[in-house]
Amino acid sequence: MGNFNIDAKKEIVYDAIVIGSGISGGWAAKELCEKGLKTLVLERGRIVEHFVDYPTMNLDPWDKELRGGLTPEEKVKHYKNIRSGWVGKDTEHFWADDTANPYTEKKPFLWLRGHQMGGKSMLWGRQSYRWSDLDFEANAKDGNGVDWPIRYKDIEPWYTYVEKFAGISGEALNLPQLPDSHFLPPMELNCVEKHVKGSIEKEFLGRNMTIGRVANLTQPHNGRGQCQNRNRCNRGCPYGAAFSSNAVTLPPANATGNLTIRPYSIVQSLIYDEAKEKVTGVRIIDSETKEVIEYFSKIVFVNASALSTTQILMNSKSNRFENGLGNDSGELGHNLMDHTYRVGAMGKVDGFDDKYYKGRRPNGIYIPRYVNIDEKSKSDKFVRGFGFQGSGFRGGNPANIESFGADYKDSILKPGPWEFFITGFAECLPYHDNQISLNNDVLDKWGQPTLTIDAEFKANEKALNKQIQEDAVEMLEKAGLKDILGFDKEHPPGYGVHEMGTARMGRDPKTSVLNGFNQVHAAKNVFVTDGACMTSSSCVNPSLTYMAITARAANHAVSELKKLNI
Amino acid sequence: MDRRKALQQTGLLAGASILMPSMASLFQSCETVSRLDWQPLFFNEEEAQTISTLLNMILPRTDTPGALDVKADIFIDKVIAATYDEVGQKHIRSEIASFNAACKENYHSTFIELSEADRIKVLQQAEASSGKFNPSVWAISVGDQEPIEFYRSMKSMAIWAYFTSEEIGENVLSYDPVPGKYEACKPLSEIGNRSSFN
Repeated sequence: MGNFNIDAKKEIVYDAIVIGSGISGGWAAKELCEKGLKTLVLERGRIVEHFVDYPTMNLDPWDKELRGGLTPEEKVKHYKNIRSGWVGKDTEHFWADDTANPYTEKKPFLWLRGHQMGGKSMLWGRQSYRWSDLDFEANAKDGNGVDWPIRYKDIEPWYTYVEKFAGISGEALNLPQLPDSHFLPPMELNCVEKHVKGSIEKEFLGRNMTIGRVANLTQPHNGRGQCQNRNRCNRGCPYGAAFSSNAVTLPPANATGNLTIRPYSIVQSLIYDEAKEKVTGVRIIDSETKEVIEYFSKIVFVNASALSTTQILMNSKSNRFENGLGNDSGELGHNLMDHTYRVGAMGKVDGFDDKYYKGRRPNGIYIPRYVNIDEKSKSDKFVRGFGFQGSGFRGGNPANIESFGADYKDSILKPGPWEFFITGFAECLPYHDNQISLNNDVLDKWGQPTLTIDAEFKANEKALNKQIQEDAVEMLEKAGLKDILGFDKEHPPGYGVHEMGTARMGRDPKTSVLNGFNQVHAAKNVFVTDGACMTSSSCVNPSLTYMAITARAANHAVSELKKLNI
Repeated sequence: MDRRKALQQTGLLAGASILMPSMASLFQSCETVSRLDWQPLFFNEEEAQTISTLLNMILPRTDTPGALDVKADIFIDKVIAATYDEVGQKHIRSEIASFNAACKENYHSTFIELSEADRIKVLQQAEASSGKFNPSVWAISVGDQEPIEFYRSMKSMAIWAYFTSEEIGENVLSYDPVPGKYEACKPLSEIGNRSSFN
C-alpha cells in the first residue's frame, strides 16, 4: 500500500478524474498521468498492490484452506458470481460481494464485477484480438444499431501503441477479418491441437486454427518478467507477465508523481455545471465512512465497467439532464450486448497416449471467424459471425471409470485420455430493448439505486449458436475425434463477461451517447472508454479494443485541453 | 437397462427401508469393527467407518500411499463440516444411511460389517449404477447431467482429496510449481504421472 499516493484529503482539485481502475481505467490513468495531468483515480474497492496483495499466488492445493472449497458464508456472499463457475478460494477475494451490491434480473443475466484496484483486469482471460472493419462497418452494412463513428484506420495506430506496451503474444495470420497485432512470440500448440489444426485447415477451406493471442509475456518486456506457465494468472501474477492494471498500467502512472488513487470511493454522480455546459467534478460516497465528498477536475473519464459506468451517468441527474447525463438521445442504458458462450463440441482423441505436455499454458487455441466475411461465406440464416476458443488436454474423470482397488488406483496416477473442445463466441446485435434501468426500490448498502437488467439473446444469436454447434461437431468429426458431444449451455447474457453497449458511440447525437472520441455529445469533457461505449459487439474479445480506444481518447482529451476546447 | 429399476433392486435409491440389525450382525460388529483413531467433525462413528472403509477399498495402499495414508477420510469429514450447508449435510447423512440400508437389505449387514467379498460386490454394483459425471468445459458441466448417486460422488471426493494431498501432490504426481517453459509435446515416459493439481 505504501507505494501509491492514496491521500486525496489534501487536494480536491485535479486536472483529470478517472472513475475505475480496471483495464480501461488503468490505461486512462497511465496516459493522462504521463501527459502531465494531475490525475485522481476513484476506486470503489480496496488497494491491490502488485505482488504485495496477491495472497494466493503461490499456494498449492494443500496450502489452501479446505483445498479451495468455499464455506457456506462465502457461497452466500457470491451467490450470483458462483454461477459463472469461476469463483474459488484462489480468487474469491477479487470478486465483488453480491449481497452488498444487489441487482435485479428482469430476465436472467449474470453480472460479474471486481470491486478493487485493478477491477476485473485481475480476473480476465487475457485473450487479446484486434477488431477489423468487418466489425466497425457491420451496423452500417446490415442496418442493425447505428454506425460506428470510427473505422479500423482510426484505431489501428492505437492498437499498435497499446500492444507495444502491454505485450501480446500470438501468431501472425494476415487475415483481414482478424488483423495481426505487434506480437511477442506465440505460445506453442500441443500435439493434439496441432493434429486438429491440420485436419481443420485441410478439410475446411478458409478456416484457420491458431494459438490464442494473449496478454501474457512470452519474453521479458518493458521491465516485466516472462510467463512461467503456472496458469495462476487470476491470483495475481508475481512476474507481472499476465496483464493487469495493477502490474502494467498503474505502476507507470504512479511513477510520474501525478497519480492519486482514492480507494473505497463509490461514485454517486457527476456534477454538471449548466452555465459552463461541462461536468466540473464527481461526487463520491466513502464506502467505509459513508461521507459524501466532491472532487473537481477539468475532465472526467468514466471507466467503471460497462454497466456501472452507465449507472453513474443515469444517476447524474440535473435540470439539463433529467434522465441522466448525456441522455438526450434516450439511448443511455440501451443496446446492452454480450457474447454467447459455452456452445460448441468436445471429444476424445486417440493415438497420442504416449505424449504429454509439461507446464500449464495459460492459453488455448483460436479459430477466427469464417462466416459472413465475404460473399462466398455468406449465411442466409443469420447476420454477423462467431469465432472459437478451446484447447487440447489430457482430461477424463477418473471417478467415472467403473473400477476400484489397487490396479485402478495405480492407473489413475497416469494422465487421462486426450480430449479436445471448442466453444464459440458469437456476436450479439445491439437491440434497443436489451437495457438497464435504475431501480429505486432496491437500494444498495449505501442507499444508492441499483440496476435492473432486462436483456436476452434473440433469434439471430440463437441461429448463430445453432451454427456454432453444428460446425463444431463437424470439425471434430473431420479431425477423427470420438465420443463427440455437442453442447449449448444456453447461457443468458452476462456469462461471457463481455458486457458492451448502454452508452454507445455514434455519429448522431440524436441516436447515440458518445462521439467518435468517446466524449459525451452534450458534455464534451466527459469521456467513456470502457465496454459501455461499444456500438456493436463483434464476435471478438473486446478488451484490447478498450485499451486502444482509451489511449486514443486520452490523447484527444489532452489535445483538446491544450486547445482550450474543453 | 432401466437405471431406476436397477437402483431399486440394489436399494441404492434414497428412502429404501432400514432394517433392524440381526443379533448375529450385532455380535459380528463388536468383533470386527475397530474404534476410530480420529475424532470426526461431522460424521458419527459408524458413518466415519463406512467412509474410511469405502475409501480404503477404492484407493488402497500399493507401492504408493492409499487414501487413508493421506487422511482423505479425515479431510472429507472436515470439508463436509465446513463447506456444506444444512441441507447438504442432511442429504449426505441420508445417503450414507440409504447405502447401509441397501447393504442390509441385500447382504443382511451394514457396509462395515460385511465380508470383504460382499463389500466388493456392493462396490461393483454401485459402480454400475451410480451415474457418471458429464464432462465439463471451463468449470461448467455440459449436457444433461443424470443424477449422481452417493457412491460416485464419494468416489469423486475421495480422488480429489487424494490428489490434492501434499504427499500425493508433491511426491507421487508430477509436481511442477514453476514450470518455466511450456513443453507442448513430450514423451509421457519423460514426465511420468499426471500433473499435480494447480
